[in-house]
Amino acid sequence: MARVFVVDDEPDMVDLLATILKSDGFEVDTDTDGRSALARLLADPPDLVLLDLMMPDLDGMELLKLLRLDAKGANVPVLVVSARSGHQDQLGTLQLGANAYICKPFSPRELVRQVRQLLETSEAETNA
Amino acid sequence: MTRRRVLLQTRIARHIAFAVVVSLVLSALVLVVFRHHAVRRNMERSALTYASLISETLTDLVGFLGSSGKGLLDQEVAQLRELNDDVERLEIVDVRGKVVLRAEGNNVILFGDGIESPMVADRELLRAISGLEATAAQVTEADGSDAYRVVAPVVRQWGEHVYSLVGTFTYANVDRQLRSSLWLSALILAIGLGLTHWVSVTLAGGITRDVDVLRAGVMRIQEGRLEERVSIDSRDEIEELADAFNLMADELVATIRQLREANRELETLDQTKADLVANVSHELKTPLTALRGYLELMAEGGLGSISEESIRAVMVCRKNVERLSLRVEELVQLSRLDRFTSLDSAREEIELNSILEGIIDTFRPRMEGDGVHFVLQVQPNLWALQANPEQIERVFLNLLDNAVKFTPKGGTVLVLAEACDHEQRQGVLVRIQDSGVGIPPTELVRIFDRFYQVDPSSRRRFGGMGLGLSLVRSIVEAHRGAVWAESEEGIGSTFFVWLPFGDFGQDGTSRGGPSVRLEEADGDRTAVREA
Repeated sequence: MARVFVVDDEPDMVDLLATILKSDGFEVDTDTDGRSALARLLADPPDLVLLDLMMPDLDGMELLKLLRLDAKGANVPVLVVSARSGHQDQLGTLQLGANAYICKPFSPRELVRQVRQLLETSEAETNA
Repeated sequence: MTRRRVLLQTRIARHIAFAVVVSLVLSALVLVVFRHHAVRRNMERSALTYASLISETLTDLVGFLGSSGKGLLDQEVAQLRELNDDVERLEIVDVRGKVVLRAEGNNVILFGDGIESPMVADRELLRAISGLEATAAQVTEADGSDAYRVVAPVVRQWGEHVYSLVGTFTYANVDRQLRSSLWLSALILAIGLGLTHWVSVTLAGGITRDVDVLRAGVMRIQEGRLEERVSIDSRDEIEELADAFNLMADELVATIRQLREANRELETLDQTKADLVANVSHELKTPLTALRGYLELMAEGGLGSISEESIRAVMVCRKNVERLSLRVEELVQLSRLDRFTSLDSAREEIELNSILEGIIDTFRPRMEGDGVHFVLQVQPNLWALQANPEQIERVFLNLLDNAVKFTPKGGTVLVLAEACDHEQRQGVLVRIQDSGVGIPPTELVRIFDRFYQVDPSSRRRFGGMGLGLSLVRSIVEAHRGAVWAESEEGIGSTFFVWLPFGDFGQDGTSRGGPSVRLEEADGDRTAVREA
C-alpha cells in the first residue's frame, strides 16, 4: 500500500485530494502547514508527495528546495499541484527537483493517473 | 542615388566669389565703355580747335610761299602737324571744291603749277566747305577705318571766303590707349579674382567654423554623450542656435530621466499586475478544483450512490464548472499576452497530436453530456513544431469549446490535422469543423475582434466574453501562423489554424529547415521529467 503525503494550506483541497486518493486505495497523510509538513516528511519519508506551491510562511518552492537538500528527502517523488499554469512556472518547479506538475483545476482521474505513473517510475528505479 | 556632399564653407565662398566677380566685371565694362566715349569726344574737340586755329595760318603760308618756297612750306607744315598727334591729312580746298594743298604723312603736295588739282566730289563735304561755320563729322576712310573730318572755313576781315581747311583725324591713337587700359583692367580683374577666392574662402571659413563646432556637438549627442554642450560666442543666429541646441539637450536629458523613472514605475506596476494575476488565478482556481473534484467523484459514484435527479444536477454543475475554468484560464492567458510582447522565451518543440488528444480528453465528458459526436483525424506522422505548448493548447481549447458550444445535440465536431503549405511555407493545418448554427458572412470577418460576439444575446445563451477568438488570433499570429474561418448558416462553421514548421526567426522564415519528426509518438502527454 503506497503512502501519499498531501501538503496544501487549503483544508478543502487537502480533503478533496485525500478523498480521491483514499477512494483509489492509497494511504494518505496530510498537512496544511509547510514547516510542520517538512519536518514530518524528513522524519518519515512517504512514497510520494503532493505539494501545493502557494502557501503562507514556507511556500511549496522553498519546501521543495529544503526537501531536496536533505538526504532523506532527495529521492521522494514530488507531484506539484498549482494554480500557476505558466510554462515557465512549470519548468522552474521541475528544475527545482519536482518530478511532475499538475495544474488546477484538474480532474480526479488525471490526478490518480499521474500519481500512479510517478509511483511506477519510482518503483522501477528502486528495483533497478 | 547618392548626392555629392558640398561643404557649407564652399557654398558660402562660391556666393561671395560670385558677387565679387560680377561687380568687378560690371565695373570694368562701365569703365571701358564710358572711357572709350569720353576719350573719343576729347580727341574730336581738340581736333576741331586745332583745325580752326591753324586754318588761317596754313592758308596764308600757301599764299605767301607758294610753289617757289616749297622747302620752307614743307617745314612749316611739318611744324603745324606736330601740334596734333591725331592728324592724318590736311587739305586746303577752295569754295568751288578744288584742292590746293594736301599734306599727308611727310608728303606735302601743292597743286596748281603743272599738277592738276583734284576736285572734291562729295556734296556733303562741298556744302561744308562753302559754308561759313566750322563743321565736323565722323567719316569712314577708303581703308574702312573710322576717321574724324573737320572743315574750318578761312574767312577774311571783310567777309571774304575763298578757302576752307579740311582736316582728317584718326582715332588710332585713342584706340591704342583704350586697348592698353582694357588690358590693364583685365589684369586687375585677374588679380581681383585670385584675391576674391582667398578672401571668400577665409570669410566663409569664419562663418562655418561655428557651424562645425555645432555639428560636432550634435554628433556627440548622437553618440550618446548627452552631458556635452556646445559653446559658441558669435553673437548671431548661430549662437542662438547653439543656445537652443543646448537647451534641447538639457530637455532631452531631463526627458530621458523622466522616461527611465516612468519605466521603472511601469516595471513595478507590471510586476504587481503579474503577482495579482497569479494570486487571482490561484484564488479562483483552488475553489474550482475542489468543486470539480467533488462533482466528478459524485458523478462517478465515488461518494456513494445518489438519485438519477441528483446525477443530472451534478452533470449540469460539472459542465458549468468546466466553463468557468475555461473563462478563468482565458483571462489569465489574455493578461499574460498583453504583458509579454515577445513569446519567444517560452518556445520549445511540441507534439501537436498529444496536445490535441489531451484537449479532447478534457472535452469528452462534456460532449458525452451534450450528445455531440466527435471525430479526430490526425495524419499518422507526428510533427514537431516550435511553439509555446501552453498557448497552442489554449488555441485548440478555445476553438473546440466554441465548436462544442454551438453544435446542437446529435451534431458532429470534426478535427482534422495534416501537413499543408501556406504562402510558400511548410506547416500544419488544423481544421475544426462543427455542424452548428453557423456565422453570417458579414460577421465572419469580425469574430476575431476582442469582446465581439455574433449575437449579443448569445452571451447569455452560450456563455463566454468574446475573448476566446481574439486570444486565438493573438497566439497564432505571435507564432507567425494564420487563423481564419469559413461558415454556412444552418450547416456549420470551420475554423482553420495554420502553424509553420521550424524555427520562427525575426523575419518569419525558417532557419535550419523544418524540424519534422517522423517516428511514432509514445502517447505520453504529461510534463513528466526524471529528477
